[in-house]
Formats: sequence, C-alpha cells, structure tokens
Amino acid sequence: MKTVLIDCSPKKKLSASGFIAGFTSLFVMGEKKKEKLRTKADWSRVLDAVADADNVVFSMPLYVDGVPSHILPFLKEMELRRRENSPDMNVYVIANNGFIEGKQNEPLMQTMEHFCERSGIRWGGGLGIGGGVMMNVMRIMLLVYLALAVFRFVAAGILGSWQAGPWIVFGKQTAAILLLCCGIIAFDIWLACRINQRKEYGKHYTRIMLPSFVFILCADLFFIILSVIQGGIFRGWFSRKKPTRMTN
Amino acid sequence: MRLLIHDRSEEFSQTMKGKFDQVIYADGKYAPCQGCFHCWTKSPAACEMKDALQEICRVIGQADDLTIITENWYGGYSPAVKNLLDRSIGTSTPMSTYRGREMHHTLRYGKHHQWRVVVYGDTTDGEKKTWALTAKKNAINDGFQQSEVSFVTDLNELEANAL
Repeated sequence: MKTVLIDCSPKKKLSASGFIAGFTSLFVMGEKKKEKLRTKADWSRVLDAVADADNVVFSMPLYVDGVPSHILPFLKEMELRRRENSPDMNVYVIANNGFIEGKQNEPLMQTMEHFCERSGIRWGGGLGIGGGVMMNVMRIMLLVYLALAVFRFVAAGILGSWQAGPWIVFGKQTAAILLLCCGIIAFDIWLACRINQRKEYGKHYTRIMLPSFVFILCADLFFIILSVIQGGIFRGWFSRKKPTRMTN
Repeated sequence: MRLLIHDRSEEFSQTMKGKFDQVIYADGKYAPCQGCFHCWTKSPAACEMKDALQEICRVIGQADDLTIITENWYGGYSPAVKNLLDRSIGTSTPMSTYRGREMHHTLRYGKHHQWRVVVYGDTTDGEKKTWALTAKKNAINDGFQQSEVSFVTDLNELEANAL
C-alpha cells in the first residue's frame, strides 16, 4: 500500500500543514511519500508520485473559507489525468485554520469532496483542525523547553549537583502541550488508522483545547510579537488606508 | 461603492464599466498568497508582492456592494478569483473578535452591505449547496451583512444577472 502525503502550504518553511502531514505519516503503514506542493514546478513530481498511490492525503491551510488558489489548478490537472486512468485511490484531507473552530474548514472539505466526485476518486474523508497555526508555536516551544532543560541540567552538573529537577519541569511542560493538542493527536491517529484500512473516515472537526476567548488573546499576542520581530508595532494596523493606484 | 470582480475577459470589463463604480478583471496574472501575514503586520493593507493585487484589499474595503462573477470550480471560485480573494485579507486586521458566533478578525473598513456571487459553468446540486455556504461564510468573514448566490447556465445572461 502506497500513501502520498502532500503539504499544500505555500510557505517554504515552518508550515503547520507540513508538520501535521509529517505527524500523520508516523502512524501510516506501508510505503509512504511526503511531497511539497507550492508552485507549478512541483506539479509533475507530485502527479508522478500520486499516479500509483492507493491513498493521497492533502494537508492544507484554509484560505478565505476555501482551498488555497495555487492548489486549484493542480486539482484540475489531477482530475484530467485520473479520468484517463481507472482510479482506485482514496483521497483524505487534513485542513487547518487560524481560527479556533475546526468547523470553519467545512466549505474546504466540501470542495475537496466535489473534486473527488468529478475525478471519480473515492472520498476518504477529512479532518478539520481549529487553531492549527498554534501547532507551529507549540513545536517551537517544545524545542525551547528542551534546550532550557539541557542547559539547566548541565549547568547544575558543572556546579557539582546533577539533578532530575530540570527534566521534571520539562516533563510537565510537555504534558501541558500534549494536553492542549490531545484532540488533534487523537483524531489524527484515528485518521491514520482509517488510511491504513483504506476505509472512509467521514468528516471530523477538532481544535486546540483552549477556551476560544483565551485562544483569541493568544492569537492577538502572537501577532503583536510577530509585528515587533518584523520591525515595529501598530504601523497603521487599524487605519482605513485608501488605494494609491488603480487596480485594473 | 459598487464593485464588480469577474474572471471573463477585458472585453467583458468594458461592457460592465459604467454599470459599476469599479470593475476588476481577475486575469490570474499574479502570484498566489504566500501566507506571510505581512499585509497585517509589516505593511498593513498592502501586500509585499508588487503586482496588480498589491492594494486589492483597499479596493474591496471601499465596496458597499460586491459582485463576483466566477466560473464554478468544485463548488468554489475559479483560481483567478480565489487568488484575488486570498490576497485581500488586509480588509481585516490581525486582531480577533467574535462575529456570527465564531472567531474572526476585526474589520479594517467596517461593515458592508451585500456579497453577491454569480456562478457560471456546469454546477451540480451538491456544489450549489457548497456555494451557498461559502458565500455566507465569506460575507461574515469580510463584514458583509447579506450574501446571495445565483447560477447562470447561458453566458449571455451573465450581464443581466450581475446587475
């Protein structure tokens, strides 16, 4: 059984879609291939990879309530190719969005379902993740916590007392992150199991396990920090800027 | 301001000029959104990519009534129109709030009146349902108070349906 997992994010690095695709692949059995679909230059490589695949998993971000525009022409090309062959392929979708509600991925899921109908490909189902962007923040935090634990452990050792304290703190921090992601992890492993069985998963929606008002505060803080890193803050964040030139 | 966005042709733009305050032909000759959020944080309400869509969010932000004419692609917008919409998220700000009982970004340009979509091309019943949902969600997302979708099978009817 061959499964191709496609990261459909346009980002070159630190893509949440790529991370989730990679995480899913840990639980998928048989031959696995991970692909990146950013530009048209990737098309022929990805189309070759999916040509003889039993399962294809599209992992993508939600853009303006739908499939990102750069993926649509690829889907059309895939539809044309699959019509020429006799497809025995299951398509699964993992969609993540920046809002807390996983359910906001519903129009994207339906679009991918229609793509399957028109292409004669079996729709395997999809997982919609709310707060998917936070997965990126959490994996970075996990690495920072690990580095701090190593530093504290070594520093204490050099001073003459090797202690388990830093590792206990790291264990608690890891547990907290796993708790916040427990819905995503559980639904994702379930999806991988259905892929392994080549059975329909249905549509399921999950989220980061935070109350929405706390998530909103976290998201606001994230953008403030991002803005500071990018060179300043509140440079007309809220101003109603008017066009300075004609569009078309 | 009444704004029309379509994916037909330059000639169609000429036909519709005068009937709308501004007409934009989504010709697809531009780069897709890179998901960098710079139109929120680094250069608010302007995309970093210096092409025809650099200030598209400012144009959409001025619209009271927005009409979109698009070919049906799996129950969603054509790539050229979707590309334009993906590049327009600067109509909102990076800060979040609740709207329609869901989390959304706060609006840079306040509330608008109507988000209308005129869909042409072969469309299944299932795709029509997806269109209704998508237009409703788009309207909530961008602060439009109403959404409406109509379907056209004869291309000669496009103009009449758009008005």
